[in-house]
Amino acid sequence: MILIAIIIGCIIGAIIGINIPTIPYTYSGYLAIAIVAALDSVFGGITSTLKKNFDMKIFISGFFVNAILAMALTYLGEKLNVDIYLAAVIVFVGRMFNNLGTIRRYYVEKITTRKIIAKAEATIKEANEENK
Amino acid sequence: MNKEKITMATVVGIVCILLVSVMFAQFRTVEETDIEGIEVAREEELRTMIASWKAKYEETSQKVQETNKKINEYQEKAESVEETANLLNEELAQTNMLVGKTDVTGEGIIVHLSDNENKQIEEKDLLYLINELRLAGAEAISINDKRIVNMTEIVSVNETILINTERVTAPYTVKAIGNQKYLSSALSLKNSGYIDIYTSLGKTISMSVEKNIKILAYNSGNNLMKFKYVKEAK
Repeated sequence: MILIAIIIGCIIGAIIGINIPTIPYTYSGYLAIAIVAALDSVFGGITSTLKKNFDMKIFISGFFVNAILAMALTYLGEKLNVDIYLAAVIVFVGRMFNNLGTIRRYYVEKITTRKIIAKAEATIKEANEENK
Repeated sequence: MNKEKITMATVVGIVCILLVSVMFAQFRTVEETDIEGIEVAREEELRTMIASWKAKYEETSQKVQETNKKINEYQEKAESVEETANLLNEELAQTNMLVGKTDVTGEGIIVHLSDNENKQIEEKDLLYLINELRLAGAEAISINDKRIVNMTEIVSVNETILINTERVTAPYTVKAIGNQKYLSSALSLKNSGYIDIYTSLGKTISMSVEKNIKILAYNSGNNLMKFKYVKEAK
């Protein structure tokens, strides 16, 4: 059900994104950093789902607050003439890689365990037949 | 459990819509913007450049305006100078005509006076004739091409007539430029007119009306036109 919601959301979002007017180039930097922050939140959410400690409130608040904070920091950096958005990108992308690593490890472990279990079951079956 | 799942699905769907729409918008923005040109110079630099160019443009346009103003002023001045020059020239021409420094032409009359066996023309006759002509509105007069100006004298010295201190002998040709009708009628009044009076005295006088009379400028060698004693009163 959640998968269906994700797919439908992606399709509707794509349609909306193609049809809304383009954002001026001046603001596209803020939008890019907001997208990175949101993607980080999404991957964090996936990781927490896999770890079975997914909390909707934390996910939603992280999704919006991180994006807004990243935009605000970028704005501040522009005012201070310091490229703070670079720091935000590093942090968010680093966390994204961490989360991706966690997800990858989870699935690899899952597949390996399944194989081991299958092997074990097969040996048990063989043993049982021999015993008969 | 089911209700919780539905809320979660909607929330996740909304989040997906938001994220993907913003992402696509950003993709389009990035695609449509000429990044290569802009990324060479950073946005801030571009802004400052625009500001400086604007300032320069404003400065230059101000200068242009000032220069145009100056040009206009000069032009006006030049025009006024030209105007005054024209006015002065006109005035000068008129004054020259008035004092008789230029050759003039126009309609008028020519009076011929000549001696006969009995009577000679005297300087008084000429003076009277000139007076009559001036009364009739003659604007320029000459006797035997001696221009009559405001300082002209007509005197008789030892039976010879001097005009502008130069000798003049009979026959006398008096040219006058002015209204033909006034001039001719003033001279040819019945009985009381100049011609009638003098012909009755036995003098030979004839008058002709001409369309185009040329009267020469005052050109006496004597400096009648120069003032030694007269100064402009203030």
